Amino acid sequence: MEVFVAQLLNGLSLGSIYVLLVTGFNLMILVARIIQFAYPHIVVLSMYACWEVLKLTNNAFLALLSCIAASVILNILSELIFRRLTNREGVDINVSFVISMGMAMVITDIMSHSLNYGFPITFPAFWVGGSLIRFGLITLSKGQIYALVGSLVTVLIFFYLLYRTKQGRVFRAMAENRYVARLIGIPIVKTSIFSYIIAGLLGGFIAILFSMLLGSASPNLGEFVALKVIAVSIVAGLGNLKGGLVCGLLLGIAEAMAMGYISGSWSNAISFIMMLMIVLIKPQGLFGTQI
Amino acid sequence: MKKNNILKIKDLSVSYGPIRALKNISLEVNEGEIVVLIGANGAGKTSLLKAILGIQKAKSGNILFLGSDITCKATDKIVNSGICLIPEGHVIFSSMTVLENLQLGAYYNTHDMNKNLKKVFDWFPILRERSNQISGTLSGGEQQMLAIGRGLMSNPKLVMIDEPSLGLAPKIVSEIFNMLIELNKEGYTIILAEQNAKKALECGNRGYVMETGKVALHGTTQKLMNNSKVRQAYLGNSV
Repeated sequence: MEVFVAQLLNGLSLGSIYVLLVTGFNLMILVARIIQFAYPHIVVLSMYACWEVLKLTNNAFLALLSCIAASVILNILSELIFRRLTNREGVDINVSFVISMGMAMVITDIMSHSLNYGFPITFPAFWVGGSLIRFGLITLSKGQIYALVGSLVTVLIFFYLLYRTKQGRVFRAMAENRYVARLIGIPIVKTSIFSYIIAGLLGGFIAILFSMLLGSASPNLGEFVALKVIAVSIVAGLGNLKGGLVCGLLLGIAEAMAMGYISGSWSNAISFIMMLMIVLIKPQGLFGTQI
Repeated sequence: MKKNNILKIKDLSVSYGPIRALKNISLEVNEGEIVVLIGANGAGKTSLLKAILGIQKAKSGNILFLGSDITCKATDKIVNSGICLIPEGHVIFSSMTVLENLQLGAYYNTHDMNKNLKKVFDWFPILRERSNQISGTLSGGEQQMLAIGRGLMSNPKLVMIDEPSLGLAPKIVSEIFNMLIELNKEGYTIILAEQNAKKALECGNRGYVMETGKVALHGTTQKLMNNSKVRQAYLGNSV
């Protein structure tokens, strides 16, 4: 019973990070019409930026700022690359997948060779915080609480933006029918760029929460996470925002349960087993694709 | 009494790759008119409207709107300057509510939003009733009204409507056309592209008959309705 609760908490906190990542990923699919495989890599690189600033200045506020700034800048740079491929109707989504895999490789290489000599980075103790609750096997660290609460708040803000503001309406209109959105006078390129900025802001937040949850990062982290984000997205249905919320948490819990009850290395395979099953049984995803 | 010129198109040619969709089109629209474009499917009516809006780039010729050249401008700037297109097939954003669709129409006019909403709801009371309904659940006629309402939200100086009768029952078609005449009486300048030549000519002031990308005939709708070629080809009368 204790193992179950402990792993449930672990799963929820990890899952809440997956939820945010899938949300940013889906935003790119829906508005920018790209599959940004390197989205988690950009998040990890922002974690490196945060760590670097923390090391240099020991100023938490500056570190937070630089994390978000790094993510926004990297996403805007990727927009410039994807725009080169744009024809009138948007980037061919399959081409964008391949290009983003290339981006992912480049980012991973930068982290493996140039940053911290390729060694994993660890965040200082004050950043991660200690455990807050101890109850037998069940521990809840500050980082996990940050991840859970931060993720909840971010999701609420994101959905508020999408469903209660003018810009959100415009995003949804572009996601539904880019051509008609253009006809009624919505500036397509400007709005698309703005979606990259939003994804960048979100990515910065994710990097902060993730660094607090894990306490460390390594060059391979992006790779690991990116494959799982794709898996979650496929299981939920590509572009399905609400489905992503559910499936992100589901995967986190499933992985944690696997870690708790089966041997550790199976937890990585869980996401792919889920993905394979869904593709065989219901290929449009549990909640339906939205592209 | 001289009317102000709203739109002047001179020698416009548009090609889709090797296909010449529009060949040296010249056309004029003056303030307060309903100008109709009639012609068969593929004659170039939609291509012309798309060219005016900047969706299709002109190969040659120019388009003047209120005196300024809009030929190579971006679509969003053209819409912002006062032209709206209500596209063929009453296309609305079906996953969004009626109100959200209307709000989208006012992208550049947010400060007049409530005033324009009230105007549109007065024109189309059924939309006020259904304002929080998902627009995919509306009937065809209601969706067409929503598409028109959305266009009006931008306070356009020129309203272009493409095939409003498509896919609608005759009774609804009559309602829509009566609505267009009422809108015109209110002061809206309208370009109407229609395959239903009879209905279009009945409600318009002037018309252009398009055939394979060219203007074959133009004049007042009275003159066109009495023209034997038009009657034979489009109005179903045998000469």
